Amino acid sequence: MIKKETELLDEIKSKYKLEGKIQKERRICISITKNNLIAILKELKNLGFIHLSSISVTDWLDEGNYEITYHLWSYDDKILFTVKTKISRDKPEIQSVTPIWEENAQIHERELHELFGVNFKNNTDLSPLFLEDWDGPPPFRKDFNWREYVKENYYDINNKRETVYYD
Amino acid sequence: MINQIETLYQDTDYDLYFGPAHPGSGNFGVKLKIDGEIVTNARADPGYLHRGFEKLMEYRTPIQNAVISDRLCVLEPLNWNLIHAEAVDELMGIDIPERAKYIRVIMAELSRIQSHIIWFGVFSKGTGFDTGFKIAFGYRDYILDLFELITGGRVYPAGYICPGGVRRDFPNSAKDKILKVLEKIDEMIRLEKLENPALKARAKGVGILGLKEALRLGATGPVLRASGMKTDVRKDDTYEIYDRFDFNIPVREEGDCYARYLIGIDEMIESIKIIKQALNEIPKGEVIVSSLKKPKLSVKIPSGEVYIRNEVARGEAGIYMVSDGSDKPYRVKVRGPDFLHMIPVLEYLLRGTQIADVPAVYWSLNICPADMDR
Amino acid sequence: MKIGILPKIFKNLFSKPMTVRFPHESIPIPDGYRGEHLYDIYKCISCGLCSKICPNRAIEMIELSEEYKVKYPKKYPKIDLGKCCFCGLCDDICPKDSLKLTKNVFLSTFDSSSVIKNPIPKNK
Repeated sequence: MIKKETELLDEIKSKYKLEGKIQKERRICISITKNNLIAILKELKNLGFIHLSSISVTDWLDEGNYEITYHLWSYDDKILFTVKTKISRDKPEIQSVTPIWEENAQIHERELHELFGVNFKNNTDLSPLFLEDWDGPPPFRKDFNWREYVKENYYDINNKRETVYYD
Repeated sequence: MINQIETLYQDTDYDLYFGPAHPGSGNFGVKLKIDGEIVTNARADPGYLHRGFEKLMEYRTPIQNAVISDRLCVLEPLNWNLIHAEAVDELMGIDIPERAKYIRVIMAELSRIQSHIIWFGVFSKGTGFDTGFKIAFGYRDYILDLFELITGGRVYPAGYICPGGVRRDFPNSAKDKILKVLEKIDEMIRLEKLENPALKARAKGVGILGLKEALRLGATGPVLRASGMKTDVRKDDTYEIYDRFDFNIPVREEGDCYARYLIGIDEMIESIKIIKQALNEIPKGEVIVSSLKKPKLSVKIPSGEVYIRNEVARGEAGIYMVSDGSDKPYRVKVRGPDFLHMIPVLEYLLRGTQIADVPAVYWSLNICPADMDR
Repeated sequence: MKIGILPKIFKNLFSKPMTVRFPHESIPIPDGYRGEHLYDIYKCISCGLCSKICPNRAIEMIELSEEYKVKYPKKYPKIDLGKCCFCGLCDDICPKDSLKLTKNVFLSTFDSSSVIKNPIPKNK
């Protein structure tokens, strides 16, 4: 059903200036700037993409930015739409999508705020989810090396069972 | 002094922590605020089993990741092995042999039947039907003996479904033993249909989830099918070879705990049909791509990204994998179905019910805390 | 009262229960089960591949004590059973088949020094 994917992609391309492509059957991918993010996502929800599958953040250390990815699924047309955008790494801030997808989006953004340090404006509940009494840097960033941290704070070279970690 | 005691007696709210190290609640805690007999507010407290899986996988190569991926959810390990192997296969562009495709489907459906048996057992125990618990765990042992014969371990198959195919071939006596075990499971389903009147009275009309609320809160899988929507990832967004088999999708309209319990039983019958059709058509041949037959220390993954969706026993699962050309993945994001069922859906359903209904609602959602915390 | 349940009651009254009374009776363990390790030092070539592929870093290459160093000068694997997850990758990758997994699953003990397996046992 390649016809339906091209219709949807042309409709979005005609209203906003962006680049996108069809990867294979049932998969479309576009990448946009963060200014018209809310307008494009609202338009996609009206076209039938009512299920938000997941939100994810990738940390590109060399280029110095975070890339946020939204995966949307439509039950009527059976197509997966991927929307990608980039924000800066030193002061990460972006508008939240809870006015559009409500509690489904709120819990995903709460997890990403704790693990990557991204601030989602307009989200009413950003309290810590998994960790308790943690005051170090956000744990999933690429410059926080887990093996070095554990070796300094918890392991002891005189213990017979832990000498394997020191080579 | 008498006035102070009298005013304290008229105050009827209190807090209750339905806690994490309790046999009635699994490894997960819920903080309840109660006024008399009615629950006014519920707040979930996750984090008891958080291991940081997504970053652990960045330090290991794909074959080492396949071995630890069955600890993502302990109650259905082969289904999570399958979704990780599919993500690496698609990034590397591998085409797996025909016999391996049929073996993968048979093992995934056996794991789904075993997970639904646990669901039936703990739901009966939570509402007081103790015989159901003993029937369920007695018959589950036949399937664990099958896993021991084929993969080498009862609960953890240690990456049996790995990138490139499967790690070992079926022994010669496997096909007859699988057919005998399926007859015993048919016998168990006939026993489950003789119901207890206490179970019906505690589960009918309790914990109703409407269709609009379910779509807004992000429910998927059997919870969404019990509210009236006919959808299944195996038919809508087909993966592996599920389009060659013939099976139905059970749907109910009411949305209460009793409807979810009946859908669990109907799904077991459909899985048995799929396994019998696959055993008739399985061809002979190799079971793994020849370049990955012996494990290697480092295999390069070409750069790219992929998002795979699968139907595990609890709902819709997803893996988003990004690679930049080296031998370890750059970012792995795991989307579990229980992340949505245990925090927004549970908090919505527990508001306004009585204390005696809390176990029936809690166990009817088929929760697994390991899937939520990762 | 439900009459249909009477034949089922009679059948269950005279049949054996499902329980297996371990340790007096037991079910045989099939071949190919992943249990304790068995190491043969005569075939080993000290390549170190088993130590590099272990996902939990449970195998460490060590030198032997003075009395054996003359005959075996290279490094040999020491296995820590407390960290092992019994996956079988070290068995698959060994090029000379000197490290294998047996069917022994009775490994609980009160003696914590038997958890670490040295390449040469003490009473040889």
